[in-house]
Amino acid sequence: MTIRIRIQQQDFDLADEYRVLREIDSTVGAVVTFSGLVRDFEAGAQEQIEGPAKDPAKGQAKQQKQSIDSLSLQHYPGMTESLLKDIVEAALNRWALLGVTVIHRVGKLLPTEQIVFVGVASQHRAEAFEAAQFVMDYLKTKATFWKQVSQDGESFWVESKQTDQQAAERWDNSDAC
Amino acid sequence: MIKLLFFGRLGDIAKNAPASVDAATPAEIRDLLAAEFPALGRELHEPQVLVSVNQMIVSWNHPLADGSEVAFLPPVTGG
Repeated sequence: MTIRIRIQQQDFDLADEYRVLREIDSTVGAVVTFSGLVRDFEAGAQEQIEGPAKDPAKGQAKQQKQSIDSLSLQHYPGMTESLLKDIVEAALNRWALLGVTVIHRVGKLLPTEQIVFVGVASQHRAEAFEAAQFVMDYLKTKATFWKQVSQDGESFWVESKQTDQQAAERWDNSDAC
Repeated sequence: MIKLLFFGRLGDIAKNAPASVDAATPAEIRDLLAAEFPALGRELHEPQVLVSVNQMIVSWNHPLADGSEVAFLPPVTGG
């Protein structure tokens, strides 16, 4: 079992990370990798488009999509590594895995850059797919990272999303594996 | 003394907060801060804000020992 957890400023190489997982041993039959990137826009101030007078609730939120200048990733050194280890161990308790790699970048990142990598090796694909998604879902809601966006000379902290919370919660209710 | 850390948007709001205080629980620290910095106090009372002691998430009534590190954590946004 190979667990690798890294928090770093520098970029990572997908091919290198894939190779490490693939070469763990000859029983590896599946490797699933996920990489998250800095989108070149963030939904800025939301403007509510009014819905029909009879049912204003049907109004839609129009997102003002503006290019960002950069993203800054802050984390809590020590605690973040420990939380990521807990998340990986929870995945290991749930699925038969041969290797898990989690890499998260911190510091200043520019649009289109890589932020996060999760890679899982297992004998069969189902475990690798599910565990990779589980690790990402928990990372997004538990690991102590905070994003700050710089846009037009101003900066703001990114708000957490309810949909991320729901994505993590579905694993609590799932009896799969 | 208890060392204080503020992350994410709390770091901006807590710019003038002390780096350390004497207190028996995180809840007491929150009350001390709220008395002097009302805006920070309001943020720390948000239900989504978590507190850790020596890098473990704990309840607001967790007893503190001298030298503990208390961190105030807004909802995380990594990934």
